[in-house]
Amino acid sequence: MKIRTVRYFSREAVRGIFRNKLMSLAAVGTITMALLIFGGLYLVTSNLQYWGQRARNQLEVRAFLTKNAPDRQVMEERLSSIPGVKSVKFISKEEGARILGEMFGQTDLFSHGENPLPDSFNIYPVRGADVEAIAVKIERISGVEEVVYGRNFVRFLNLFVRLIWIVGLILISLTVFAVLYIVINTIQLTVYARRNEIEIMKLVGATDSFVRWPFLLEGIYLGITGALVSILLLFQGYTILYGKAKSFARILPVLSSFEVTMDLIVFLLIMGIFFGALGSILSVRRYLKV
Amino acid sequence: MITTRNLTKRFSNGVVALQDFSLHIDKGEFVFLVGPSGAGKSSFINLVIRKELPTSGLLKVGNMDVALLKKNEIPYFRRNIGVIFQDFKLLPNKTVYENISFALEVIEADTREIKIRVNYVLDLVGLTHKRNEFPSELSGGEQQRVSLARAIVNRPHLLLADEPTGNLDPETSWGIMELLKEINKRGTTVVMATHNKDIVDRLRRRVVAIENGRIIRDELKGGYSLED
Repeated sequence: MKIRTVRYFSREAVRGIFRNKLMSLAAVGTITMALLIFGGLYLVTSNLQYWGQRARNQLEVRAFLTKNAPDRQVMEERLSSIPGVKSVKFISKEEGARILGEMFGQTDLFSHGENPLPDSFNIYPVRGADVEAIAVKIERISGVEEVVYGRNFVRFLNLFVRLIWIVGLILISLTVFAVLYIVINTIQLTVYARRNEIEIMKLVGATDSFVRWPFLLEGIYLGITGALVSILLLFQGYTILYGKAKSFARILPVLSSFEVTMDLIVFLLIMGIFFGALGSILSVRRYLKV
Repeated sequence: MITTRNLTKRFSNGVVALQDFSLHIDKGEFVFLVGPSGAGKSSFINLVIRKELPTSGLLKVGNMDVALLKKNEIPYFRRNIGVIFQDFKLLPNKTVYENISFALEVIEADTREIKIRVNYVLDLVGLTHKRNEFPSELSGGEQQRVSLARAIVNRPHLLLADEPTGNLDPETSWGIMELLKEINKRGTTVVMATHNKDIVDRLRRRVVAIENGRIIRDELKGGYSLED
């Protein structure tokens, strides 16, 4: 392919867009709408996931020691050597009493009698997902009386995080097909309006790929435009929502728009190009049979 | 230039467009295909440019058997043939100049070459002064001249014209005929489907009359109908 021809293709693609303004606008609009749906789904999914993961990473295991357990140093070593453990924190029975007292609003909870609380450790896992496995191992260590962690909560969280992934993925892939169908139909209209052009090109001896290229480029340009518009709208909308959500952020953590930026931009651009290009190729194909 | 033997075209819906069609057209000839609408004139042209495939029989253009052309050979085959249509088939959003240069752009001709050749044919059809206008700003005759210029700009050996005067008034039609005669004089084989009796009778060229897909008369220097 000559460089001149490449220039011709890009020029034709740009001309094609501007000489069929209404059709181009329709195509960009459709792609934008489609990508807004994707972007929205993506934002919701990644925020839910983020929420789940954060909750999971705040998990801890509490191990209560027996009365005749080895001293603190030995126990700390035993607990720390379990794979997947990030850190351990010793809580003496005196401290335990203080914490418990605070909870009940009394400072001298056991000051009149013997403190019945055992010494304990808080164990923090590297990955929240490993809490259960770590807890099982701690139970087997001698000197440990009882292990406490939110068993059901952990199971729920693990399921929740996985479910969001699966549901998000299913929703996105279902929408891909629906959206592709709509986008192809729209682009097909733009190509239909120019079927004469294709026919004449074929009759004067243009090869199929020569006919296809300008349409392909045009589709890509339209796809990129649609992606940029949807990116702009999504970030504007998300920034506004983020501002509103920040006031509850302590209960419900939200990803800041910077944290989702790059991934989402790349994702939407790729989707836009994909829709535009595929839509064009499939639409032109029908009219190439001259 | 064109040789057919027992050429038959039957469409999938059962309609027979051409039957037992045997014809030989020499290089440099000027041939009228005449006959009522639906006789098979356009079908013949569509077969020659390989828009359609023959059902059976032989069709050779130049020394190529059209039925044996591979899909990727068709574009190169068509570059030797110019076609003019009754409805001009100009691109409404391209200027006169672009409509013509387009035929050279798509075969990736040189920029300089394109300029020279387009200017040459514009001059030949007398439309140099309208080069920057759009088809909608032209009269029917002018549009047909653009379409003619586009058909000949890559110097085809064969020029096919499907009712080129069908939409034009008599005087404008003669302008087109003069151009076709001129192109033929320069060596291009011209095959023109028409039912313009006046033109056929006055030009006295070879006439091939078709009816119901069959050749019913083939006469050198003939008239539109037998009596003439």
